[in-house]
Amino acid sequence: MKTYVKIAIFVVAFIALSAILAGLYLYNLKHTDMAKARPDFIITATALQKEFEINETTASAKYINKVIEVTGAIASVTQAGGNNLNISLKTGNDISSVICTFPAIVDPSKFKTGDIIALRGECSGFTQLFPGEPPLDVLLNNCAVIVHK
Amino acid sequence: MEDIKGDNNQVVGAIDISTGEMVFQAVIKSFHFDRALMEEHFNENYMESDKIPKSSFKGKITNLSSVDFSKNGTYDVTVEGDLTIHDVTNRISTKGTIEVVSGGINANAKFNIVPEDYKISIPGVVRDKINKNLEVTVAMKYAPLTAK
Repeated sequence: MKTYVKIAIFVVAFIALSAILAGLYLYNLKHTDMAKARPDFIITATALQKEFEINETTASAKYINKVIEVTGAIASVTQAGGNNLNISLKTGNDISSVICTFPAIVDPSKFKTGDIIALRGECSGFTQLFPGEPPLDVLLNNCAVIVHK
Repeated sequence: MEDIKGDNNQVVGAIDISTGEMVFQAVIKSFHFDRALMEEHFNENYMESDKIPKSSFKGKITNLSSVDFSKNGTYDVTVEGDLTIHDVTNRISTKGTIEVVSGGINANAKFNIVPEDYKISIPGVVRDKINKNLEVTVAMKYAPLTAK
């Protein structure tokens, strides 16, 4: 076989293998491990909710899709669908909270109302049931506990 | 073969028990898929959640008189209203159940939607590999809103 044919075959095979490996890598990509991720922001639950209340557009642009480390007092712990756990953190007002959803692995009995915790999650946005009223809750997903007093 | 299934555990909603009105709001980025790549496709290719972050429902229980909110029990209901997904609104009707329990109300429903009805375009190559209808399961737990 001529040399240039051998090189051509090799290059094609290399490209094909790279494509397959890239595809497999993407296909098997796991969600970010929050315990290891570097936070983009470190903030209290009260301050975070307040920023959304003051200007939801600015706060959305600033926080959505970012990794946020939030500290606050637990308002409630609820079992959500499919073994997920929801922990709500208290904010400056009674009707709003920072809702943090944890994947299946977390043990709920450790968390009590009033406990101070620091957790890390990805901000997916905020809820606002009735237009014109202040944003209700700030939402964090894929959460991991960092510190639990 | 893989299940295409996403869960959103951060949906907010309210029921007005005097009128039977129900409102829901779901933030699209809060839908969790086991496979990260599937979640990315859901957000970027299909739902375009950066442009259209939320989905909502506004409607009412049509047979309100058959529900006694003061008596614990399970009641079959029909709920009708406007479902908005991907900035497109369609009128829908679904059967469901309202369960009155001590200290709250549980609401459950299951209905199908056709993605094309909401201008969600699934490329032809993949379209045949996915059901024509997508099943939506709703499971809500309501607590009384304390008056201020």
